[in-house]
Amino acid sequence: MTSKWLDAYHDPVASLYTFTQCLTLADIQADGDWKLIIADLGTGSYDMKLKVYKNTNLMSEHAIIDLPTGVVNFYMDTLEPRTPAIAVASGPYIYIYKNLRPYFKFTLPPLSINQIEQELWEQAKHDNINVFVLRDALEGLRSDGQLLTVRSLKFLQLESTDLEAFANLHKHAPLKRQTVITCLDTLKKSLADEDAISCLVVGTENKSIYILDPEAFTVLTTVDLPSIPVFISVNGLYDVEYRLVVSCRNGCIYTLKRGSKEGSKYCIELNSQPVGMERINKTIYVGCMDETLQCYSSKGKKLWTIKLPTSITTMKTLDYSPRQLKTLLVALSNNEIHMYKDKYLVDVIKTEGVVTGLQFGRFGREDGTLVMTTRGGGLFVKILKRSAKFEEKDALAGPPISQNQKINIPKKTKLFVDQTLRERQNAVAMHRTFQRDLYLLRLNTARQYVKALDNSMNPISSDPTEPLKLSAQIQGIGPTFKLTVNLQNTSLSQPTSNLIITFNYDDKLYSFRNKFIEAPMLVPGLNYAFETFIDCLNEKGVSDNVKVYVLKSGRSVPIITGVISMPVSEAVAVA
Amino acid sequence: MGLFDMLARWLGVKKKEANVLVVGLDNSGKTTILNQLKPDDTKAHDIVPTVGFNVEKFATKSLSFTAFDMSGQGRYRNLWEHYYRECHGVIFVVDSSDKLRMVVAKDELDQLLQHPDVKNRRIPILFFANKMDMREAVSSVKCSSLMELELIRDKPWHICASNAMTGEGLHEGVEWLTDQIKDLVDKKK
Ligand SMILES: Nc1nc2c(ncn2[C@@H]2O[C@H](COP(=O)(O)OP(=O)(O)OP(=O)(O)O)[C@@H](O)[C@H]2O)c(=O)[nH]1
Ligand SMILES: [Mg+2]
Repeated sequence: MTSKWLDAYHDPVASLYTFTQCLTLADIQADGDWKLIIADLGTGSYDMKLKVYKNTNLMSEHAIIDLPTGVVNFYMDTLEPRTPAIAVASGPYIYIYKNLRPYFKFTLPPLSINQIEQELWEQAKHDNINVFVLRDALEGLRSDGQLLTVRSLKFLQLESTDLEAFANLHKHAPLKRQTVITCLDTLKKSLADEDAISCLVVGTENKSIYILDPEAFTVLTTVDLPSIPVFISVNGLYDVEYRLVVSCRNGCIYTLKRGSKEGSKYCIELNSQPVGMERINKTIYVGCMDETLQCYSSKGKKLWTIKLPTSITTMKTLDYSPRQLKTLLVALSNNEIHMYKDKYLVDVIKTEGVVTGLQFGRFGREDGTLVMTTRGGGLFVKILKRSAKFEEKDALAGPPISQNQKINIPKKTKLFVDQTLRERQNAVAMHRTFQRDLYLLRLNTARQYVKALDNSMNPISSDPTEPLKLSAQIQGIGPTFKLTVNLQNTSLSQPTSNLIITFNYDDKLYSFRNKFIEAPMLVPGLNYAFETFIDCLNEKGVSDNVKVYVLKSGRSVPIITGVISMPVSEAVAVA
Repeated sequence: MGLFDMLARWLGVKKKEANVLVVGLDNSGKTTILNQLKPDDTKAHDIVPTVGFNVEKFATKSLSFTAFDMSGQGRYRNLWEHYYRECHGVIFVVDSSDKLRMVVAKDELDQLLQHPDVKNRRIPILFFANKMDMREAVSSVKCSSLMELELIRDKPWHICASNAMTGEGLHEGVEWLTDQIKDLVDKKK
């Protein structure tokens, strides 16, 4: 199988630290040359950057203050030329960039502060309270399960000696409690066009989803969830009808519709934590930590589960409109990307390293581009070949698709119905008849076996005093054959002697040069070979069976008998 | 060939004619190149992405060319093969600044070379490593190694770096193609 992908770019040392959520492809300069935008997590604690690749070159870099958790592109206005903006989620903020310049910073609404916590800091501000008392009081609040501000939490982590300084530094600033963005997506506002204005959909650590207006940057809708959202999939239009599918840290997937204020109505409970979620048309695909890929209908009904060879690192939908191809890409920790079309594995892409970031779409001027970033920091780009074909056939073992096709079963005939009735009524009698016949068959077999033993008709001796094994071979194509008789004494320690080998044959057909062979003493375990030539007397291609007897002098019944069917002889040589 | 044509040629009024097929990925500059080659009075001012294909005419000292300017967009690339049979030469335009899609250009070239109407013919192929003026452009040597042109053994080929905006490099290429096609036509006689 030749690869369906062309290797367009390959940089194993791009030193990128990023994930699928932090990659996006967009025509941010409205010149038809789509750029790759990557939020790089840097070292994980500093050096965070927004990087823009034009073709294979790094075109620009912008520092980001906090860890990025998501990057999307969206149209926020109707200005010409149509230039999409970039939104980077980081901490409680969303940074908006337009034309590669910082444009706006949105801060999530602050959360309510615990009354007692507020008062405690108020007292600290006026030095009415000792820092150690403050610490004990805050500690008490925390152990009561109250949600505290970041300031209080940091304060509680300090050594006793640092408390005073920290309190003095911060106590005059107003106390704020903020949340952190966990996931980010876009939702078209009122038109479905490619370049229509979109709202931002933001999931946060305080179990809420916010939908933001792209022009005024106000919160249009807030939905509270039972758990913390990690992946969102959005479709529909904000002003008309939309649906958010949100998978949460409690292992549940909730479906929210326009107008619903909380999302517990439609819920899928997973038996393992989700590591990726994608939606194609109406089906939801979830990759779980237990190395399974699961598929659900929009109603939450489980359609199928596939066990994968290793754990999933990330997932992404491949939507390639020129070919009407919609498949699911699943990156695995064994350096492979598996491509599923429905439940069929249609392609396996080998990668250099474990892929943690995946994006498929238009990059540069190419529509079918797959961008991959790896755990080791590499950046790889593949392009779907124009000649590639994806058959809906399982590349691995599994039920063939034909199994799912309905067979055209003919109508039941009257005969069939009658037979079925008869079988149902006479089941007992039929069973008895069958059993009786079976016993007869067994009896017959046993009789034949005894008879064969009595006549020593089998090539292994059953006589415990003379355990022998016989085998014979015919060599040659005629008219002269060579017959080799092998005898083996199969007893452990008992030698046998006084054995004679002789033959029974049709003397009109064959002539044996040696009709009578006297065997020497047979030592246990060794194989003895005795040979004789046979001449075939018939030229008409007739052949017959020849019997080999092993006799013991003084006994009339052979110990063992072998039957050899002779091959048809070649015509006698013209002599 | 009509009697009139024969007469015209004998009198040296009319040049020999040749068909060339101009292919390459979208945005590589095919239409811009042909526009440069056309006589000044027929030049177009703004060039838009080609839909399907266009037929253009231009001439050199000894040949008059009919060029099939194919669209390079993915959905039109399957049209190319229908013109392989009639053409006397191929101009393959590569955008030397689009490193990402160099593999796609190579893939399309491979498909062209493997096509039954091309495979067993000694048809000359002229490559333009176009957009040499761009900052990211690779040299014509690099371009030819990325496209693995050295593997083409059974066809005459030639690569020129070009700038379709100024016309630089175009004439060198077209001269080469003219010589090749003339050789072929002369040999046939
Ligand atoms: N800088 C530079 N730009 C060029 C050059 N050649 C073409 N262009 C530009 O590239 C763009 C595409 O040129 P076209 O001639 O339309 O490309 P094409 O190969 O005909 O494209 P399709 O018709 O879509 O297959 C235009 O904007 C040209 O101005 C060049 O040598 N240098
Ligand atoms: Mg064109």
